[in-house]
Amino acid sequence: MDAAIHSVIREEARCVGCVACSQACPTKAIRVRRDLMSIDPATCIDCGECIRACRYDAVHARTSSPSVLKRFKYTVAVPSTTIYTQFGSDFTPAQVAAALVANGFDSFYDVSWMCEMVSRAVDAYLSECGGPWPKISVTCPAIIRLILIRYPDLVPHLIPVHTPRELAAKMARRKFAASLGMRPDEIGIFYITPCSAMMQSIVAPVGLLESNFDGAFSIAELYGPMLRTLKGGTHLLDDRFNPSGLAWAMVGGETAGMRNKNSLSVTGVHDVTSVFDTIEAGKFQNVDFIEAYICPDGCVSGQLLIEGRYAARRTLQRIQARLKGESAVAEEKVRSMFREHFFDMEGEIKAPVIEPMTETLQQAIRRRQEKHRLLDELPKKDCAACGAPDCTTFAEDILAGEAKLEDCVFVKLRALEDRQG
Amino acid sequence: MDEPVLYRETFTITGDDFEHGGDAAAAVKAAMKDLGLDPAIIRRLSIANFEAEMNVIMYADEARMDLVITPSAIRVVVADRGPGIADIDLAMQEGYSTATAEMRARGFGAGMGLPNIRRSTDSFEIESVPGTGTTLRYSVSLRPAGDG
Repeated sequence: MDAAIHSVIREEARCVGCVACSQACPTKAIRVRRDLMSIDPATCIDCGECIRACRYDAVHARTSSPSVLKRFKYTVAVPSTTIYTQFGSDFTPAQVAAALVANGFDSFYDVSWMCEMVSRAVDAYLSECGGPWPKISVTCPAIIRLILIRYPDLVPHLIPVHTPRELAAKMARRKFAASLGMRPDEIGIFYITPCSAMMQSIVAPVGLLESNFDGAFSIAELYGPMLRTLKGGTHLLDDRFNPSGLAWAMVGGETAGMRNKNSLSVTGVHDVTSVFDTIEAGKFQNVDFIEAYICPDGCVSGQLLIEGRYAARRTLQRIQARLKGESAVAEEKVRSMFREHFFDMEGEIKAPVIEPMTETLQQAIRRRQEKHRLLDELPKKDCAACGAPDCTTFAEDILAGEAKLEDCVFVKLRALEDRQG
Repeated sequence: MDEPVLYRETFTITGDDFEHGGDAAAAVKAAMKDLGLDPAIIRRLSIANFEAEMNVIMYADEARMDLVITPSAIRVVVADRGPGIADIDLAMQEGYSTATAEMRARGFGAGMGLPNIRRSTDSFEIESVPGTGTTLRYSVSLRPAGDG
């Protein structure tokens, strides 16, 4: 049976019970017991590392079903700017957009202008807010989940300026409802996403705000049909793209469009964790803004893209160079929109309510001592054969009553040898 | 009177070992998180621990960092074998530092280390014997007065 857990669909028939996903998971949310992987929804951050790690195609990103398109009178695709990096630089963004529309949508709404506007809005926010510093970008939903789960103290650092994609969805609905004379709910707005985390933030936001989108589709699924359309002849959409906004496809794009240069870009769960640890420790007092992505190069390395990230980066640079000279967003206009709360989120990102500690300090101390005692007995090979990703996590599982010491093959072997010898 | 020790864990720090700079403080922080201590307490002690650890790495030969939990406080003792501090009052002054240009290039040596430890903890003691070593004792209270 297939089970949906967060952003991930597990295909039971394909899962062989290897431990690649459990060892790849940065939050240790995966266990492999009885030859089947399972994910703890409370610890999963939707980073998609398990999708990348699986060699048996047993873990997929969850997407909207194409049938959802039929529920609407009119459908609009809002693609991530990464889509323009996928087909080489011979095809212009306008051609790629046209190919996207040709594969299942009535129209298209560009997000690149909104990207530059949000860069300016973040500038305005930084100049008016009073800390705590540094402020952290909310673009990557996996980063937000990581903060909610591992760094709840950093929630006040998140910037309450909405993401370009969500603002674009709002604008698209408004624009098409007005021009077509339809009710807003008759128009379906769909995000075309490079990763499972954004998919999840739309399909079933956990701990995040409700989305303005009606669903999301993966770029990887649309890639084949779009390539066929592109090769069949050039269509053109009469849309102008913003080169500075397109840069958001890659890490550094968000900060490059800002006036405030006192920022830092960090990618990959390992480096992000180390930066967040430093913020938590009260360092980084001289940084105003942190752009953080869970994927190694930002969105351009999302799991739902086809083109390799180095080739995609090259394509992006070529497209941007060609677009040079496009007019920039009017800064004063953004400032006044910012004052009129155009960029505000509709709610607050809230840290999950932590259940009151049922454990006293004495009990916690005993548990930790017991964990050290268990670790002395364990082989520390982190082989993951027991089902937990490493020996320390296994010891914690035993103490939580979710595993038995005998699940460790080395412990079992030693017991067998003791009995024989 | 001496309070009962509920828990003790010891970490070692080696002088000049910049490669592992911050590891002891990170391990103490992980232990405190595992024990479910108040995040504000963890944050304050982590700042102190990091400064103390970097002091050992920059100036001393080696040290033990002891995490001790009593019913009323989290105490940390950092006892090093090293050159010691000749003038403690001077060392406690903000901005005073004997750091070399190389240390400053790494972002240390602003003369804020010891003052920072004192500022982020509830009790702070320093003892030093020139030529032998320095011992820092600091703590953060577990049950603050009032409902803080």
